[in-house]
Amino acid sequence: MSGSALAHVVVSGLATGCIYGLVALSLVIVYNATRTVNFAQGEMLMISAFVAWSAQRTAGLPLPLALACGVVAGGLLAYLVERVIIRRALEATHWDVLIITLGLSLVLRAAAGIVWTNDELPFPSLFSNRPVSIGPVRVAPVSFGIIGASLVLMLALVALFRATRLGRAMRAVAQNQNAARLMGISVEGVYGSAWVLAAVVGAVGGVLIAPVTFLSTKMGLIAINGFTAAVLGGFGSMPGAVAGGMLLGLIENLAPLYLPTGIRYSVPFLVMIAILLARPRGLFGRVERRKV
Amino acid sequence: MRGAAVTLATMAALGWPLVAPKYLVFLGTLVAINAIVAIGLNLLSGYTNQLSFGHAGFLAIGAYVSALVTIHLPALPVPLTLLVAGLATGLVGLALGIPCLRLEGLYLAMATLAFGFVVIEAITNLEGLTRGNDGLRVPVTRIGPWVLDTDASRYYLAVAVAAGMILAALNVTATRTGRAFLAIRTSEIAAQASGINAAAYKTIAFVLSAFYTGVAGGLFAFVVGFLSPDAFDVFLSVDFLVMIILGGLGSVFGSVAGAAIVTVLNDSLAGFQAYRPLIFGAIMIACMLFMPGGLAALARRKS
Repeated sequence: MSGSALAHVVVSGLATGCIYGLVALSLVIVYNATRTVNFAQGEMLMISAFVAWSAQRTAGLPLPLALACGVVAGGLLAYLVERVIIRRALEATHWDVLIITLGLSLVLRAAAGIVWTNDELPFPSLFSNRPVSIGPVRVAPVSFGIIGASLVLMLALVALFRATRLGRAMRAVAQNQNAARLMGISVEGVYGSAWVLAAVVGAVGGVLIAPVTFLSTKMGLIAINGFTAAVLGGFGSMPGAVAGGMLLGLIENLAPLYLPTGIRYSVPFLVMIAILLARPRGLFGRVERRKV
Repeated sequence: MRGAAVTLATMAALGWPLVAPKYLVFLGTLVAINAIVAIGLNLLSGYTNQLSFGHAGFLAIGAYVSALVTIHLPALPVPLTLLVAGLATGLVGLALGIPCLRLEGLYLAMATLAFGFVVIEAITNLEGLTRGNDGLRVPVTRIGPWVLDTDASRYYLAVAVAAGMILAALNVTATRTGRAFLAIRTSEIAAQASGINAAAYKTIAFVLSAFYTGVAGGLFAFVVGFLSPDAFDVFLSVDFLVMIILGGLGSVFGSVAGAAIVTVLNDSLAGFQAYRPLIFGAIMIACMLFMPGGLAALARRKS
């Protein structure tokens, strides 16, 4: 395999990796606030992508505006779900919420199939898919577009968590809920904000990847890759989620070059099993102590 | 009262093929098979709190093992074939269960989910053995001189096996092992402090659960007669979870009731495929919000 072809694979691997990183971030944001994972995260970003598609096709909005519509719709959906369903169950064991979000993922996927379609649809992209040459290397601008947009969003998240009151409140809740409550932070408010923020981050990932993978109700399965990425990075760590996403994207794109092609779809799962079994707290994770 | 109910249920189960049309006999067979899986899953998830999203994988292993055994050893009586399927799946359960001891809750759920996917991919790619996506035809089976080629005969086989496994499960939950399971479920740390070897019992639960599902997979192969990997996707695993959530975590009879309801619902919604997951998802959410403990807890509260 030539160096330039390898570079092409690496760049598209990093682009997929950015999306996995964004999905992993959205899972981790909810996890840090509520100590539970939203199994419907993938389906929520799928809904966002469908809304964006409708906004462009049916309502005739220009593409950037349509994408924004999808992202906002994702945030609204998350707000509703959190207020109406999740908050009632948060006092129960974490299992209950897990199963509720699993049920929610079934409902959302079926609803999208009924409202829109179960077929695959082409999704418009802000970036061209035709490869351009940079020196000897040929890469698709869409890869750079995805990487650039993801990096901008990640930097915005860093700013949010470092510099704003909400971000600090979310970090405080992630560390210790009781202490955060005693400091006057509205923990319930953080729950809601976390759901909305996670949905927005996921939705951006969704509208970025939809032109590459096509728009379909099966899109939500990307959450499994996002989860693998988050586990790779040590669940709960945000820089870890991004690093895990990049690593997974690279592994997934490089593995078929060296392994039989049939194995390609198993790669994220094999990576997840291997990591969970060897280092259950992720590559960079630490063991949490629990009291009875 | 309880004795009368059991007698009545037994008589209804035995008389079903005499009165019901052929298709409903087939449906009854599926209920029996799914009840075995639901009990197996409940032994793991309901009793020791280990959530599994990969039971379709175990079912697939049991189904393919029994199909391959029947193809290569046609003389073997069905009960032995099922036993082989169960043991082989149990062995896989052991291999998965020991490393999974390190995981709990969410991580275990994801590891089992990944296991389910890997099993399907393996079956798809091992074409020499399983014929991959072309599918595998399962020959008609026999017990000695009897050939199991009618719906009724397969129904009785499935119901007999299910009855045996229900009794076994009831006995497990009434023994030291069953109590250890329930103690682990309530609090693993407290159970360990009381001298229960949590690692050993959790592994036992994993193997038992896989064994049950493997036997059910064997029956499934005979009843359906044709296996292909896409029949065992993750949504089947989710169906099994819906069964035990609706029926009641930690209840054997709840598992059977949940399996019956979900199987019949699945069948009656066959014409409305698009709405099926919508309804199942809504059932899961509603159970968690309004009916924790499922039908079993509801029945206990009523009586």
